Amino acid sequence: MLSLDALGPGGPYRSRRQETIGDFAGNRVATLSLAPSLYVTRAMKALRRVPAPPFDARIEAFARAGRAFATETIAGLTPREYQHTVSTVTGIPITVVRKSTDEIAQAAERIHHSVENARPAGAVDSWRDPRARDGAAVWTRRGEVFAVHAAGNHPSVHQGWFDALALGYRVAVRPSRREPFTPHRLITALREAGFGDEGVVLLPTDHEVAGDLLRHADLGMVYGGADVVGKYAGDRRVLPQGPGRSKVLITAETDWEPVVDTIVESISSGGGVGCVNATGVLVEGDPSPVAAAIAERLAELPSLPATDERAVLPVQPTGLARRWDGYLRQRAAGSKAWLGGDGIVDDLGDGSAVLRPAVHQLDSPFAEQLGMELGFPCAWVAPWDREAGVRPLRDTLVLTAVTTDGNLVDELVAEPTIANVYIGDHPTPWMAHGLPHDGYLAEFLMRTKTIRR
Amino acid sequence: MVEHTGGEFVREMMRWHFSPETGSPFWLERAERLDFDPLTDVRDFEDLSRFPNVVDELRDIGVRELIPRGYGEKHEASVYESGGTTGRPKAVPYSAEWHRRSVEWFSERLDSHGVPRNVDWLSAVPTGPHNVGAMAIDTAMLRGGLNFSIDLDPRWVKKLVSEGRADVADAYTDHLIEQVGHILVGQDVGVLFATPPLLERLAQHDDLVDLVNRKVRAIIWGGTHLDADTRDLLRDEVFPGVTMVGGYGGTMMLGTSVERPGLGDDEPCVFDSFAPYTTFRVIDPGSGKVVPYGERGQIVVHHMSRSALLVNNIERDHATRIAPVDGGFGDAVADVTPVASFGDTAVVEGVY
Repeated sequence: MLSLDALGPGGPYRSRRQETIGDFAGNRVATLSLAPSLYVTRAMKALRRVPAPPFDARIEAFARAGRAFATETIAGLTPREYQHTVSTVTGIPITVVRKSTDEIAQAAERIHHSVENARPAGAVDSWRDPRARDGAAVWTRRGEVFAVHAAGNHPSVHQGWFDALALGYRVAVRPSRREPFTPHRLITALREAGFGDEGVVLLPTDHEVAGDLLRHADLGMVYGGADVVGKYAGDRRVLPQGPGRSKVLITAETDWEPVVDTIVESISSGGGVGCVNATGVLVEGDPSPVAAAIAERLAELPSLPATDERAVLPVQPTGLARRWDGYLRQRAAGSKAWLGGDGIVDDLGDGSAVLRPAVHQLDSPFAEQLGMELGFPCAWVAPWDREAGVRPLRDTLVLTAVTTDGNLVDELVAEPTIANVYIGDHPTPWMAHGLPHDGYLAEFLMRTKTIRR
Repeated sequence: MVEHTGGEFVREMMRWHFSPETGSPFWLERAERLDFDPLTDVRDFEDLSRFPNVVDELRDIGVRELIPRGYGEKHEASVYESGGTTGRPKAVPYSAEWHRRSVEWFSERLDSHGVPRNVDWLSAVPTGPHNVGAMAIDTAMLRGGLNFSIDLDPRWVKKLVSEGRADVADAYTDHLIEQVGHILVGQDVGVLFATPPLLERLAQHDDLVDLVNRKVRAIIWGGTHLDADTRDLLRDEVFPGVTMVGGYGGTMMLGTSVERPGLGDDEPCVFDSFAPYTTFRVIDPGSGKVVPYGERGQIVVHHMSRSALLVNNIERDHATRIAPVDGGFGDAVADVTPVASFGDTAVVEGVY
């Protein structure tokens, strides 16, 4: 059995209080140290004592850590063992975990793209830059210590805090108690690659202690549901990362049939567990044929254990899967079920069940279900028209707009609550290094100041 | 009042509390509604389980009803109350005789930990309706020290926390720490008596930690729980070289139990009660049966002295059952924690 320690500024820390992480069959897979408040407080203070390595050293350390993460034995686990463990305890298909390993490695190796692209074009990154002689904007941090309440829905979610570390923040990550494996591996690799024990720390805690990370940080980021977003809405120090509610819009003048593959991929790629997976599909005209087509395609996805090479759907403990199922049915009342209406639970007989896709058709683009994001492929298809306009498309992380209407695109791009707009035949989970995911994190982490010397 | 066998002691206590000349009005009246006769049916500790848990009845009676008649007018009692954040608190009179005895025992336990005498104390523990403040003042005095008190209102803090006003609770804690700081700077404090949350907050101030490590030779903690990991950190990292002594007490046990001395750093914090007056039992909350040594269960407290009879009081706390020292009475308890509840995981929308 694995023992995951907290990774503090003084090295690994093993608490007496240990949380057991099991697989769905009830086998113990790992124990996780839960740091008490006093440990967290002292760790957060210690992060302020040591300055970050210089920029170039940070970028090099990221590259080294990325390669090690994907290819080397870290904290006693080979990449394969790590991937298998994550798949086993989270039910994320093994191929998704494997792909994510490569994505994380690439993101680390190319981290300079992200931070360089984010810097205002007119700003320099040091007061020593010759341009500061006559006065220049210098890009500087808004604080020194950054805290993250991370999520465990997908390993790649940890790319979300890379920019903070690259920009010279000391970073403290509170992992998901369900999936601490990815941040433990990643942070071990980053520490060994040059960030050291005082540059980046892993602080697993229970719910009560979690707030201490944010309290003692200058800035923080918190993943969670609408409740979390609401809780931190008034806190300038905290950037909440809420539901993605990604969507696909198809306008009447475009032919929907060629983009069915893209819609299906948007809903289900990566097991459908991501914030970039589409939950809403809006169709100008009759949405029924679109709903029927994607339901037909999604119905073909096989039910397999997560560690099976051909698995594409997420697996959960059967009890939890049934609760999700009950919740979905309750919320889907009044809609037309094209897929999953008889239940989404496919029991694997070993205490776990596959969460099968669901496709429901709604009467109106304003139906509240449209923004309902669940941790498996679950889509809500609704009619849309020009009168509804941009309103039902608000609060969307990624919007794929299959349209030729430039005026509409203008409106979508202008809408502040839509984070990304992909025009045409592009799946919502598409991402590229160096491009913002929900704005550049640097927009939150950095400011400019005029320096003249 | 020191007895040689448990049975003899229990029978003496029954005679005191249930004889018309010595018993309290409360117990003499309450005895009429018991389905057993305490004078004949309660022969030993095990028979105490026949008593109902009466502590909730204490909310509704005048505290004078609880003073045993045997004291006459010479009870010199002080009234202390349970923590109490909702509704009327439960009040218990502590006779002067009992308080003195309790302070003496506490002091002996501190001796056994090597806590120095003839040094001054800084006590940041609740006074007012809570007994621990009086324990601090009188124990310091008995041991030849002066006591510097910081007042602390735990009911206000609990109320703030339950109302989600963490910022106000924080400000209050800062206010306490500021006062602790003034005394640490200005006075030669040898013993610090504080609640674990205050010690944790103190640990955030490097200057105050330095002062404690320079001046203070023993820290006594009590009043709230201290988990084993935080205890390790306070002892090993924050205040190395300072003796730490824990107490686990409460109004309904009329005093405190004290950490057992001489245990290794890797052993849990074991609390021994002031037996035979206060004794613990660790039971399975489902069956009510005493759990085997080393197993966890819920704590039941019996208090029997001339001052009070409060037996079979089921605390919210859970602990590991440990054998008492030297064939003493009842159980010792280790790793005391508040009851944890485990509900179903609710479905939350969103992928995080």
